[in-house]
Formats: sequence, structure tokens, C-alpha cells
Amino acid sequence: MSDQSQHLFSSRPSARRRAESGVAWIFRLATYIILLAGVVVFGDIVIKGSRTVFQSEFPFINVAFLTEAPKSLYVFEHEGEHYEMADDDFRDFRESVEAQALAAGEPAPELKAKTYVYSAGGIFPNIVGTILLVVGSMTIALVLGVASAIYLNEYAKQGAWVRFIRLAILNLAGVPSIVFGLFGFGMFVIFFGWNVSLMAGWFTLAFMVLPVVITASEESLKAVPMGFREGSLALGATKWQTIRKAVLPYATPGILTSSILGIARVAGETAPIMFTAAYVVRDKLPWQVEQAMDFFFQGVMALPYHIYVVSSKIPQNEYSERVQYGTAFVFLAIVALIATSSIILRNRLRARYRW
Amino acid sequence: MDKLDRPPFAITKTRTRFLGLTLDECVQAFFGGNAFVAVVVLGLITFFIFREGSGFFNQNWANLELYRKAGLEFVDHLKQQEEDHTALIRYLFDLRVRTVKHYTDEEGMSLANANKRLMAFDDYSYDFGDAVEPLRGAVMDLGDWVSMVKTRALVTEDRLEEQRQLLAVGKVDEAAAIKIEEIDFGAELQPLLAFRPAYAEINAEFAAGLLRVLALPDPDLPTPELQARLAKFKVLVGGYIEEFPRIEKALLDWDYTKPVPFAKAVSSFAVGGRWLTASFWQDWYGVVPLFTGSLMVSMVALAIAVPLGVGAAIYVNQLAGEREQRFIKPCIEFISAIPSVVLGFFGIAVLGQAIRVLSQWEALSWVPGFPVAERLNALTAGVLLALIAVPTIFTLAEDALQNVPRAFKEASFALGATRLQTILRIIMPAALSGIISAVLLGFGRVIGETMVVLLCAGNRIAIPDFTTGFAAFTQPVHTMTGIIAQEMGEVVQGGIHYRSLFVVGMLLFVIALVINYLAQKIVQRYRISIG
Repeated sequence: MSDQSQHLFSSRPSARRRAESGVAWIFRLATYIILLAGVVVFGDIVIKGSRTVFQSEFPFINVAFLTEAPKSLYVFEHEGEHYEMADDDFRDFRESVEAQALAAGEPAPELKAKTYVYSAGGIFPNIVGTILLVVGSMTIALVLGVASAIYLNEYAKQGAWVRFIRLAILNLAGVPSIVFGLFGFGMFVIFFGWNVSLMAGWFTLAFMVLPVVITASEESLKAVPMGFREGSLALGATKWQTIRKAVLPYATPGILTSSILGIARVAGETAPIMFTAAYVVRDKLPWQVEQAMDFFFQGVMALPYHIYVVSSKIPQNEYSERVQYGTAFVFLAIVALIATSSIILRNRLRARYRW
Repeated sequence: MDKLDRPPFAITKTRTRFLGLTLDECVQAFFGGNAFVAVVVLGLITFFIFREGSGFFNQNWANLELYRKAGLEFVDHLKQQEEDHTALIRYLFDLRVRTVKHYTDEEGMSLANANKRLMAFDDYSYDFGDAVEPLRGAVMDLGDWVSMVKTRALVTEDRLEEQRQLLAVGKVDEAAAIKIEEIDFGAELQPLLAFRPAYAEINAEFAAGLLRVLALPDPDLPTPELQARLAKFKVLVGGYIEEFPRIEKALLDWDYTKPVPFAKAVSSFAVGGRWLTASFWQDWYGVVPLFTGSLMVSMVALAIAVPLGVGAAIYVNQLAGEREQRFIKPCIEFISAIPSVVLGFFGIAVLGQAIRVLSQWEALSWVPGFPVAERLNALTAGVLLALIAVPTIFTLAEDALQNVPRAFKEASFALGATRLQTILRIIMPAALSGIISAVLLGFGRVIGETMVVLLCAGNRIAIPDFTTGFAAFTQPVHTMTGIIAQEMGEVVQGGIHYRSLFVVGMLLFVIALVINYLAQKIVQRYRISIG
């Protein structure tokens, strides 16, 4: 090990060099500012949200928050004690207090409670609603989208017409989600008279991700080398056999990744379901319907819409903060889980299929 | 040649047929059918939005026509005059507040004493305020009258519509039973037309009243700065009085029979500065405040996101080591997965307050608009939107840098260029088209974002006061996406308000298409490759 500064070709510090590393540091700073911003948002929601979702005693998860419907919170003082209760508990408590007073022959004490809407109970119907919306809309979008992509890439004659359609679809992918919401509201809710319903939400969301699904599926179909198809056809396979055995297996990873990203997008969007599928509050769960058809034409509560409602329609205070952060945390966890699985899946499959 | 002698062909292939189609054709038909449905549906979306929106301009035309015929336009001239007077009173009030502040803060007077000192000033402003009385009375009477005319005209229209619908389904008797009141606007507007000579008198009286106040001795004000403000007030009043003949002329020239040109219906939307709905007086559908709001929020977002996103892309692609790359890229993709409504909630719960606290910090008082008045404003929304735009810009810019042929870099190094020179002079120019399209797509992402702006932009429908310079960015705004989300729930189908929202949607749709198209064209046109 010779002394570096003495070596003939060793780098000597100069103004230019310092400027160079300075600029490199600026770029590095930009990168880490972004990461920091992400960490701040995540951290804030995860830390404050986990206070609602987790607890220190067994079973460590706040089961009530995940399995109950949203309720109003009653906060009151009674005989020097501070109480916080959900509305049904409060009713029981009040009755018992009144019964006691009656037994003792005293006038019933009046419980002066402050009410905070949505601040008690849980978010179970919202989780169910979001899952229903995602499953339904992704089924529609995947069937339509993947089939269209196969047709456009494998069967259709590549001409000006298909090129135009492809360009149109690509451009539609950038249209704001609220415009799709507007369309869904005008078309399904009003024109078809479906009202605010699962069906309207499904189709609105499905059409919103349709361009994305078609474009991404086509990309992965295109990535399969032409030789696979030619080889298969040369062996006497029919077109469908070729597609089934020589194209789809290699395109599936790509299609899967894009569809999972589509799921994350569908689950995360609020604007399209605001007027097509989401209710602020609904007492019944989706399966508590009288007729099977009612299932499709009922509105549901959904997580993203619930976040919107609790963060903008009710006043900010310590009680509402619990439900706000709890909902945001659960929602973020679900979406992040979907997104992470898609990223991991893509990286795995990308490594496996190479030609 | 005996056909019967030939043995049958050795291989026979039996094909299942459904409806005369082979399996293969069935499969093709299935895929083709799906593709057809998808294309039709996507076409339908475009068609539907444009169909629903297109009716707006005719309805707005009728709306403006009624505005003129029912005489609201006439009264609005007077209302404007009255409002300008109110603005002058507000100026006086502002002056009073400043003076009180001077007395209490600088001279240490008690509030009661300060108020006592300002008695002369108060008399002055009361006199000034009272001068408008004759005009105010007239405006109220005429306003009530024309509102009534308008209401009656609308009722008539509703009844006509009802009759048409009944006739359409063949219920002739019911249709005939509907009483329709014909409105003769000429007769109804007599009070307005008759008011015109009286108006000249009122105006003269009003102007005399104002001049009388101006001729009073100036109330005592402590500092030259405040006295200068009073002098400016007098100049403003002078200008205000000079406007009177112009208003008189406008009223004399006003003619309710003059048709409103159709271009007015379009221009009142495209360049109209007021978005006012469900008003008892007159609804206005001017997109400018919303468009400005969207644009301002996007500008804030891009001003933050472009340097960060592009800088990060350069760092990750050119400077970072492999392990750092593998860590940063998924992290930034992860940020793009944060749903916008969660970001909006974060803005309400944390960021808005944080910006307000930050803005009250003494060391930052040089920043225009600081300290901010409202927690939720264009700046808050813009900062959050930057976090939405960053992953888009980063990913696409990184792709563009990745696509620059390796040989460019190697050749540059071989010529003795340093790493920074190579990046700034060789790689960046080669990837510029891709980076520009990345920024464009980031812009498209931001301008179409709904939940963040709905929650955090403050939702005040007004064009921000640009005379304050950059401070305008700390004012609350409303956006095109936000207005759709906010007002869609309360509209009547087929009504003018419903259609106006579709026109806004149309505008967003077109903006998104143009941005996407441009981004693609730029990449294709200026792609650099070897050979």
C-alpha cells in the first residue's frame, strides 16, 4: 500500500472534482428527499394507525375494529367517572342506570353525552365492500381485457385500423379516474337506472382499468418471441393450440403482474365509486338481502370512501382521529400488500423467463 | 379411373362443430367478440361524455337569454354600482383598523380611547355609507321584481315541458288542463324602463351626497402613511363618481329584445370568471376559476416533482451502485402505490397544519404568502400531488436514461470526459425527449387527480388574487376534478348544472388525451439510437 497522494495517477482534489462530487450529492439528496417523504407519510399513518388496530393485550389485534360496523361514540361523565361507549352499549348503560334509579326510588339521572359519529365500532362493512368491488370489477376487466389483448395481438390483421385502436386504448389509459366516475354516474346510475349499486361500481371500475389491462397484456404477449409461435404452427398445431401451449404460458407472468397492479389501482381509487357504488353508511351487510338480484343492485360501504368521509365530513378531534388513522392504516396495508406482491412476483418471474 | 376403387384417405380428422364453426373458429370468435365489446365500450365512454356535455351550451344560451329578458342584466348594472360602493366602505374600514392598530400598538392607547379619537372618522365613514341609500332602495325593489319575473318565466317553461311530455305519451286532456301563463316581457319590464329617468335623479343625488362627504374636512389621522391612504381613497371615490354616466348610458342602451349571441354562451363558459350554481339570482358557469386552480396546483406539484424525480432518476441510473439501485427503485414504486385518498387525509391531518406552523416561523417570513391564512390551500395540495407525480416522472425518466445506448457513455469516457460531463452533456441530451414526455405524463397524472385536491385545496371557487404575486399560491382554490366530485351528487339529470359538469369532464378528457398524445409523439420523434 503506497501513499495514494504521492502516486502519479492518483486523483488530486481540485475545484472541478469538488464541483463534481457536489453535483452528485445534489442528485443523491433529491433521491433521499423522495424516500424521506414516503417514509414520513407511511410512518405517520402506520404509527398512529397501529394504535387503533393493534393492542397490547392478547390477541394483539383490535378484533372489534376489524369485525364491527361503524358506530357513534358517546362520551360522558357519570358519577365522577369518564366513559366512552358505542351507541348500543350506551343505550344498555342508560337503561341500567335508569333501572337502578327507579329501584332506588330516585329520579333517573340524565346522562349528558357528546356524540362523535363513526368514531366507535369498526370498519368491517367497508372492508367487505372494497373486496366485493375489487373482485367483481377485476373479473370483468380481466376477461374483457386479456381476451381483447389476445385478439388484437394474435388474431387481428395488423393494419391501420388495429393501430388506431391500439393508440386510442393507450391514450384512454391516461384519462382521469373522475371522468370515468362521471361516465359511470351518467350511464349506469342514471341512464340505466341502476342507482348507486355494486353493478354500477363494478362496471365503472372495470372500464377504468380496461385500457391498462389491455395495454399491459399486449405488452407481455408481444414479448413472447415469434419463433415460439412459428415452431408450434410448423409442428401442425392449430392456432388455438399454439396460443394455449406456446404463447400464454410465457405471457402469463406479465399478465399477472399487470393485473395485480390493476387490482391495486381499483382498490385505491375513490373518485369513480363516489357516485356509483359507495354509501356513507349502511346498516346491512351486503349478503343480508331478500332476493338474489338485490345483491347486485345494492350500494356498499367502501374503505377509500370511508376515509374521505371521516376525514372531511366530521370534525377533527382525538376521538375521530382514532377511526381516521385506523381506517387509513388498514387501507394502506391492503393496497401495499397487493402492490408488494406484484413487485415481488414480477422480479421473480422476470428472472425465471429469459430467452 | 374408377373412383370407387380408391381406398379411403387414411387419416380422417373429425372436427367438433358448434353452429357450423370449428373449435378454433369459436375461440377466435370469443376473443374477437371480447375485443369488439371492449372497443365499443371505450368508444361509448367517449361518445357518452360528449353527448351529455354537448347540450350544455344550448341550455346556457337559454339561461343567458332569460338573464337578459327578465331584466336581471339591467339590475346587475345597478348592483355592481352598489357593490363598488361597498368596496369603498371596506377600504375605509380597513383604514380604521390600521389606525386603531397604530393607536394601541405604537402610542399605547387603550381601545376605548382609540375609538374615542376616531369619532370624527366614524362620522365621516357613516356619512359616506349613508350616501348610497337612494340607490340601495331602488336596487332592492327592482331586484325583487325581476327575480319574480324570472321565477314566473321558469315556471312557465317547466309547465310547457310537462305539457310536451304529456302530449308525447298521448294524454291530450291532461296536457290541455295545464294552465300556462304567457309572459309578456315587454309589459313585465315596464317598471325597469320607467325607472330610467328616475335613475338619473337618484344618481345625481348619490353623487352629490358623495361629493358632500368628500368636501368635509379630513378626519384626523396620526401618520403620513395613513393620511396618504385617505388621499388615495378620495381619488378612488372620484374615479367611482366619474363612472356614473357610463352606467347611465349602459342602462339607456339596454334592450331586452336584443338577442344574446350563441358565442356568448360558449365564451361565458370558456372565459367566464364566475362559477356560481344553485343561486337564487343567476347561475354562472365560468370555468376559469377552476382551470386556474387546477393549473396552479399542478404547477406547484411539478415545480417540486420535476427536480426531485429527474434528479433521482439520474442518480439511480448513473451514479448509484447496484445495491442502492435495487433498494431505491422498489421503494419509489411503493410510494406510487399510496392511494390518493390516504395522501389527502395525510394533508388534512398533518401537512396542512405543518405548513401553517412552518409559515409562522420568523425566519421564513420572506417567503411570499407566508404566514398562510388557510391551512388548506393550493400549496398544501400541490406538495402532496408532487408525491404522486414523483414516481411517474422517476420511472419514466429512468427508463429514458436506460435506453440511451451504452456506446454513448463509453465514447464520452474514452474522450476523457468526467462522469458529470458525460451525464450532463451526453446522456441527458440523448434522453431529453424521454424525460420531457415523463414530465408531461406526470403533469397529466397531477391534473387528473381528484381526492387530494378535493380534500386539501381549500375548495374556494374564486380566481386567486394574482396582484399579490407568488402569495396567490397560498390561497385556497377549487379545481376541475374537485368540482365534479363535489357537485355531482347534487345535480338534476339533464339539467344545466349536470351538463356543465360533463363539459368540465370533457375538458379534462381532452387535456388528458392531448398530453398523452404529445408525450408519445415526442418520444417517437426525437428518439436517439445508434445507426
